Amino acid sequence: MVDIELKRDRVTIRLKDKKWEWIIEPRYWRNSIIWVALLLVFPAVAYFISPGLINAMISANLLAAIAIPMSLMTLGTGRVNFGPNFFVGVGGYAAALLSIAYGWGPLATLPFAILITLFAALIFSPLVIVARGLYYVLLSLLLPFVFFEVTIIYTDIFKGDTGLFGIKPLLDLGNARINFLVIAYISIVIMVLFLWIINKVVKSRYGLIMAAINDDEEVAHGIGVNINKVKILSFVFSAGMIGVAGWFYAHYFSSFAGQTYLTFTFMLKIFLAMMIGGRTQIFGCVVGGYFVTFLEMILIRTMGPIQPVVFPIILIILLFALPEGLFGIYRKRRYREYFPTIHVRR
Amino acid sequence: MAKLLKVSNITKTFGGIVAVNNLSFDIHEGETVGFIGPNGAGKSTVVNVLSGYLDADSGQVEMNGVNITNMKPHQRAHMGLARTYQIPRPFPELTALASVATSALCGKKRVNQSFEDAMVEATHYLEFVGLFSKRAILARDLTFYELRMLELARSLATTPKLLFIDEVMAGLNPGEARDAIQLIARAKEQFGITIFWIEHVMAVLMESADRIIAINYGEKLAEGTPDEVVNNEAVIEAYLGRGWKAYA
Repeated sequence: MVDIELKRDRVTIRLKDKKWEWIIEPRYWRNSIIWVALLLVFPAVAYFISPGLINAMISANLLAAIAIPMSLMTLGTGRVNFGPNFFVGVGGYAAALLSIAYGWGPLATLPFAILITLFAALIFSPLVIVARGLYYVLLSLLLPFVFFEVTIIYTDIFKGDTGLFGIKPLLDLGNARINFLVIAYISIVIMVLFLWIINKVVKSRYGLIMAAINDDEEVAHGIGVNINKVKILSFVFSAGMIGVAGWFYAHYFSSFAGQTYLTFTFMLKIFLAMMIGGRTQIFGCVVGGYFVTFLEMILIRTMGPIQPVVFPIILIILLFALPEGLFGIYRKRRYREYFPTIHVRR
Repeated sequence: MAKLLKVSNITKTFGGIVAVNNLSFDIHEGETVGFIGPNGAGKSTVVNVLSGYLDADSGQVEMNGVNITNMKPHQRAHMGLARTYQIPRPFPELTALASVATSALCGKKRVNQSFEDAMVEATHYLEFVGLFSKRAILARDLTFYELRMLELARSLATTPKLLFIDEVMAGLNPGEARDAIQLIARAKEQFGITIFWIEHVMAVLMESADRIIAINYGEKLAEGTPDEVVNNEAVIEAYLGRGWKAYA
């Protein structure tokens, strides 16, 4: 049925009357290998310096793991979703409630967390068809806040005021430091996996179709793109990926509270991570995630309670000073790509 | 000649304004149909209805005997309908090659076409319209004429049977306009497409069109060969004006 064939530099995959080509070019792998190697070495080094550094690294990886699917969602729907933390909340609450109610471990809750997030995203996916522009921004911004209200109203289930406790931890190897180290590697694996999958999607025909939708929906419709299908699929699948981050948070901290994840501050951190790296530059999200986490660490130590006020100010300054993001600078200097830069305009 | 498109009694109103009123016409395979009328006569509305952007209030559109009245634009594109826009609407952040490749990928269904194959196919259409050297340039950096040509390449890459051209001459200087006309004539010949051409420049239609349909207030005024239509009293009264030949 599926016919796979390796010829010279490419793998050709055929299924019925469809054909995909996967070009394998080891000469372009150098940078990726260097970066992944650095990511892998970093926690091991931090293990000997301070465990707090590993903790910051885990947060950075997770922030990037939210910002990367978020970029895909922004690209594929042609709209900026202002409530990505809604899906973090759904995934996290699903994992937390299942783990507490049935005593399930992280591996058992993962598929359910993903499924429930996908389902929630599917329910709200008509938003990407009916609303556009400012209305979409407002509606998507409302989702996490409404969910937060729900957790407080039904506080006997969600424990909106105190947060849920007693979730099975992600790992228990006996030694806290080794636990940290292994969890750091798990977070790196999740992030790099997301990065790899989404990079493949963006570079494929589907990425091109999404870019077309992002540029002009009506024209894309006219040349034969089924825009509703593409928009809903990219919305739902990115949401499922973001839900994985929620699952990770719940099991990592063994507690989950809407107060932390469904609020404006957390959303701002995701946006900062997405914007600093560069709008929908998926590699920039990693830079952004690390930047935000370490900036937050420094701000908490130096400024204390006024730290939440400083964050939006830094975001605004950076948006003016670096409209293309940090990755944009790199790209401008070394622009040799065959494919277009894919921006978000709305 | 076989009937390619059969439009029967379509009506479209916007609130109280009747944009298209009970309009019927046929398009046969392989011909070039001109479509004229004064400003606000409903020409663009007709194209929007035929390409699926607007739903007709009543009436029926058939293509090759298939009823496409309720089809979405992308389904019509798969059937073999393509259009260009009055004001060019490129994908500004995509390169010329990528935007043509998108329509090669998404237009009429191809068998065994990978992403890379679509890129190769797109270069062919870019070469045809003379934009091969600009293939790696972002569409927002192209000139107006190049945008028009890009749009034509993008429509051709969906492998249409019927192409709606919406005022291709607007904003072009005489030299560019001549190139554009020749290009459309060559496209018709090479790709075997049928053309439905909205145009204000009568000289162009006199030269290229096999048949002209004139409308006013959404109703058909006249239909026939170019000579018949330009000598029709109603058309002269409503659109061309007396002595139009001096300006054409």
